[in-house]
Amino acid sequence: MVEADLSESGYTPDRDTLRQLTQSLGVGIALVKLEGWEVVFENANFFKWFPPNSDADDPLTARLVGFREDRAISRIQKGRIYGFETETETGGRSAPISVELRSLSDESPDLVVIECRDISKQKQAEYMLESYSKISEKNARELEREKERAEKLLLNIMPKSVYEEMKDYGTVTPQLFTEATILLLDFVGHTEKDISRDPGALVTELNDIFNVFDRITGMFDCERIRTVGDSYMAVSGLPDATPDHAHNIAKVALRMLRYIERRNSAHLESWHCRIGINSGPVVGSLVGVQKYVYDIFGPGVNLASRMETISEPMKITLNEDTYQLIKDDFECTERGEFEIKGFGELNLYFLERELPHI
Amino acid sequence: MSQTIFERYGGFSSVSKIVMSFYEKILASPVTNPFFANSDMKTLIDHQTKFIASMMGGPASYTNDHLERVHARLGITEAAFIEAVEMFEETLEDFDMQDDDIEQVLDEVMSRKNFIVSKS
Repeated sequence: MVEADLSESGYTPDRDTLRQLTQSLGVGIALVKLEGWEVVFENANFFKWFPPNSDADDPLTARLVGFREDRAISRIQKGRIYGFETETETGGRSAPISVELRSLSDESPDLVVIECRDISKQKQAEYMLESYSKISEKNARELEREKERAEKLLLNIMPKSVYEEMKDYGTVTPQLFTEATILLLDFVGHTEKDISRDPGALVTELNDIFNVFDRITGMFDCERIRTVGDSYMAVSGLPDATPDHAHNIAKVALRMLRYIERRNSAHLESWHCRIGINSGPVVGSLVGVQKYVYDIFGPGVNLASRMETISEPMKITLNEDTYQLIKDDFECTERGEFEIKGFGELNLYFLERELPHI
Repeated sequence: MSQTIFERYGGFSSVSKIVMSFYEKILASPVTNPFFANSDMKTLIDHQTKFIASMMGGPASYTNDHLERVHARLGITEAAFIEAVEMFEETLEDFDMQDDDIEQVLDEVMSRKNFIVSKS
């Protein structure tokens, strides 16, 4: 601190003037003994803001609300400032006051200076900031929730890795998956009349069934590609390659059938499905710009569809390609040779059950 | 979902007060204030808000790389670092943060000591 040398101007304030100066300050100041917190001097503002309760000799601790003696002593003894905020009644309203305590000087470490300031203006700014930051934090949280919701919706229509690619690059490159197995399921025996009689109930049941199918495909790391009407398509081997693609789909197909059988025995309405399986290369890609959907293409998909058409109610049909991949672990029965349009003569099988592990 | 310390103590509006209070303390201390002699208050407040918010698990991200860069030429001593950490602890105490939360925040800060203190 710089001490103004007033002697040159020929004026030296006397003790009374200095006292008046201290009394007229806008801040509250006091001098206190560290030992016992006895107030040895205080100016008008300090007295006004923190009046003694009853006894004029009240120590500081009784006059300052929120004062933490332990903290004050430890800070002051380390030569630091101890500060806190409190409130006082002034002019009929309460005003926030910041209080700072420090030792008077190194020579007299047992004397503590207390400086108090009215910080109403600062508090107003803080409240304003607080109110504004609450608004923006709330908006940020809502935005985050909205983002999560959108992400969840998108993950329903495309695999996660495809979604990540789209998020990072804005587009998805069509990708060839050489090793994949495709499953197609379709319900049979529901005539147009059934649907027109009570379409709502039928769709609700179909929805229940597809939800279970989604769980089954999820359990075996398969992807549901799409449903069209009452048909359901799932695939294994993409977007992440797996050597078990044929096994995975075979397990899914058997569990779908078992679920439908169990459901039929407990419901009035019976459902019958045909399932076709084929293993082969497919191309996976996101199609569309605004209304995009992840879809798979290629002769492998067409052949899976043919397998489904040629299958029988509550049967799973596969051809030689898939059969060779799973024959050691699954029991299949031969159906013989069939002429498949666009594919020639093919040896077909029914998938019966999974062989127990030896 | 468990809340971060940042969220539990009232989010950004509390952090801003902690920053202001800590800022006052380090400028008042003869041990730490020489390191801030030539720094711009606006930048300093900006850095500290982000740093303290991220130490409390808030939304700001403040990388160790960044921390190292801004402290690299300052020649921060071990003693100054310890002094600043102590004053930070006192600041958190003054805001009535619970002891185990203070400990957690300080652990975060202490683990970054090598990025702040200059290598001699």
